Amino acid sequence: MKKISNVLVFIILIIFNFNSFAEEKNYHKELITDWSRIFPDQNRNAAGPKFFKYIIDKKITYKDFIEFNKLYCAVSGSLIDPDSEPDFLFVNESDTNTKICGNYYKCCIPCSCDIMKYSKVQKMKYEFDDGLKEFFVFTIKNPCNKNDFPNRVNKDYFCDGKKINDKQVYNLNDRIVIGLLHDGRSCNKDEIDYIKSHQVTGRYCELRNNTPMENLDAGMGDIFIKLAR
Amino acid sequence: MKSKYTNFLKKIILLSILITPNIVNADFFEDISNKIVNNPKRLSYGISVADIDQNEKYEFIVTGFGYPNLALSYDKGKLINVASQKIFSDEFRKTIGVAACDVDKDGYEEIYFLNTDTYSGTKKYSDRLIDLERNKFLDMFEIEKNKEELNLTAGRSVACVDREGNGEYGLYVSNYGGPTRFYEIEGDKIKDKSVDLNLDKVTGGRAVVSGHILTDRSDIFAANERGANFLLKNNNGFFDDVAFDYHVDDVIQNGRGTTLSDILYRGRLDIISGNWQGYHRAYVLRDNKFKDIGNIKFDKPSRIRTIISADFDNDGYDEVFMNNIAEPNKLFRIKENGIFEEIILETGLEPDGFGTGAAVADIDGDGILELLVSRGESKEQPLTLYKAKVKKDSKYLRIKPLNKYGAPARGATVTLITDQRKHSKTIDAGSGYLCQMEPVAHYGIRKNEKSFKLEVKWTNGKKELINISGLNKTITIRQK
Repeated sequence: MKKISNVLVFIILIIFNFNSFAEEKNYHKELITDWSRIFPDQNRNAAGPKFFKYIIDKKITYKDFIEFNKLYCAVSGSLIDPDSEPDFLFVNESDTNTKICGNYYKCCIPCSCDIMKYSKVQKMKYEFDDGLKEFFVFTIKNPCNKNDFPNRVNKDYFCDGKKINDKQVYNLNDRIVIGLLHDGRSCNKDEIDYIKSHQVTGRYCELRNNTPMENLDAGMGDIFIKLAR
Repeated sequence: MKSKYTNFLKKIILLSILITPNIVNADFFEDISNKIVNNPKRLSYGISVADIDQNEKYEFIVTGFGYPNLALSYDKGKLINVASQKIFSDEFRKTIGVAACDVDKDGYEEIYFLNTDTYSGTKKYSDRLIDLERNKFLDMFEIEKNKEELNLTAGRSVACVDREGNGEYGLYVSNYGGPTRFYEIEGDKIKDKSVDLNLDKVTGGRAVVSGHILTDRSDIFAANERGANFLLKNNNGFFDDVAFDYHVDDVIQNGRGTTLSDILYRGRLDIISGNWQGYHRAYVLRDNKFKDIGNIKFDKPSRIRTIISADFDNDGYDEVFMNNIAEPNKLFRIKENGIFEEIILETGLEPDGFGTGAAVADIDGDGILELLVSRGESKEQPLTLYKAKVKKDSKYLRIKPLNKYGAPARGATVTLITDQRKHSKTIDAGSGYLCQMEPVAHYGIRKNEKSFKLEVKWTNGKKELINISGLNKTITIRQK
C-alpha cells in the first residue's frame, strides 16, 4: 500500500508540474505581436489570406495551426477575441460542388453570409511538425485579372501581376486560401436543414445575399465581395 | 487502513503547497496613508519626486486635475503640502503629467507640468515650466520671449532627455492628437526642436521613458495609443525610430505604464510596458530584438495606468507594481531568469481605486521606499501611501548620481555589481505614465551577498567604477 501511495504521489507531482509550470501558448498574443509584420502597410482589409499564409509558414504542430486559425476572420482580416464562438455553416466544395459543413470563426455575422456565398472549400494536405494532416480550407478564385479590384484592398498582398503572389498568400490549385473551415466534413441532411433554418446562416444570410451590392453596409460592406465574386 | 489514507492525504496536501508556482501570499504592504496631512478626496494624476525648494530633500509633487498641484514634504513623521504659491498649485489648469530636470543648468530641477483640458488635439491652457528664483516660482513659458513656443496640444507624459550627454536636458512632451514637442533652452530662450530632430510625429502619445536602452546615450521609448510605439535610438543627439526593427512597435495595442527595468539582473535596462486592456509586455533584448518574456499572469490584460519597477521590500529583487484604474492593483517579484512571481496583495489592492498615477521615494529617509498612489479621473478619491513590510535585518544601498551641474543625473544608469548579480537601474527621467520616480537608485541587499561595487554610466556614456564599503546608506556620486 505504501509503495502504491508513493507512486501515486509521484505521478500527481509530475502531472501538477506539467500543468503548473508549462506556460500555455498564447496564440492571440502572438498574432498581436506580429501584426505589423503580417500587415506592414497596416491595411488588413479582406486580408485573411495573409494570416493564413503567416500561420502555415510557421514551424508548428497541427494543434497550433487549428488554434491560430480561430483567431482571425477569413473575410475581413480582423482579429477575433480568443473566446469567440464559431458559426456552423456549409460551403460548396470547389471540385465536386458538394456541401461541406464545419465551423467558421468570424468577426461579425455578415462575414458568415459572405463566406457561404462567395468562397469555396478545398481539401488540403500539409506536413506539420507532428505529421501530415488533411483539412478543408476556404478559397477564392484568382482576383488578379479583375478590372474592378477593390481599391481598399492591398493588391500587392494578393497579386504578382496577373498571377497569385505565392510569397504573400497560399496558392492552392490557382485559388487563394483565405482561412480554415474547422471540423470540416460532408454535410448530412439534418445539418443542412439546421443551417438553412438558423437565424443567421439561414434567414439573415438570405436577406443579405439578396441585397444589391451597392446597399451593403454591414460587415466588410462590398470589399470582400468585390474581391471574391 | 484509516491512518494510511490520512498519510496519503497529508502527502497530497504537502505536495499541493510545494508545487503551487509563482504565487506568494503574505500581506506585502502596510497602509500608512494616515501620514498624509489633509488628504481630501480629489482628482489627482501624475506624481513626480523632486526637490522643489532647494533644501536637498525630495518632495512628492502630485498633480491635480482641477485641484491644486501639491508638493508633499516629509516633516516630523507626516507628509505635508508645502506648495502654496499659485503659479505652482494652479488649480484652474488641469495638470496630468509631470517631470523634473535641470533644463537651465543651474544645478536645480525645473518642473514641467503638462496640462490637459481636452482629451485630444488643441487645448485651451498651455503647459508650465516652473523654476524657483529667489524663493519665488515662475513659469518660464510666461516670459514673453517663450510664449511663441507654448504647447497647446493635449498630452499625457513628459520625460527629460539629455540627448547630447552634456547635462543639457530637453523635454520630450508626449502629445495626443498633435505633434510631439521637444523643448530645450537655446541661449536663454525655450525652443521646440521637435521638427529639427524629426520627433514631431502625430500620435496618441501616452508614456515616455528615456535612458540607456540601446546606446551609451539617452534613447527614448514612447508607448502610444492608436499607433505604433516609438523606440528612438540616439544617433549623436539625433534620433532614429527603430521600434519596428526591434519588435516593440506593438501597433494594435494601446500603450500605458512603462518603465525601464533590469529584468534579467544582467547589467542592462530592458523595457516593461503595460497596454490598456491589452497584453502587458516584459521586453528583453536578445539578438538585436526585444522578446516579450512576460508570463501568463504578468501579461494578463488590465485597465493599466502607471507601472513601477522597484525593490520595495529590500530583498534584492525588484518588484513590479501595476496600478490599475477601477480594477485591483497587482504586484510581481522579478526572480532570476525573468520569472515573474505574483505577490497577492491585500493592502494596496484598491479594488475600487481609480488609480491614475504612482511614484516611489524613500521620503522619510529610513532606507525603505514609500509608494504614493494618486487617484481620480472619474471619481474624487484621496491619495494613498504604502510601505512594504520589511524584515528587521534587511539592508539597503541608495545611490544618488549628480551631473556636472550638481543636478540629479536623470537618464544615467547605476549598476550594482556583487557576487550574486549585476543589477542596473535608471535614474528616472520620467514619465512612464504621467509620473517620475525619485532620482536615486535604490537597492535592497540579498541574503549573504558580498563584494559590492558600483558602476555609474553617465548620460554621455562614460562609466565610473566605485568600490563600496558599508551598507545602509545613501551614496552621492558627482560627475567629474
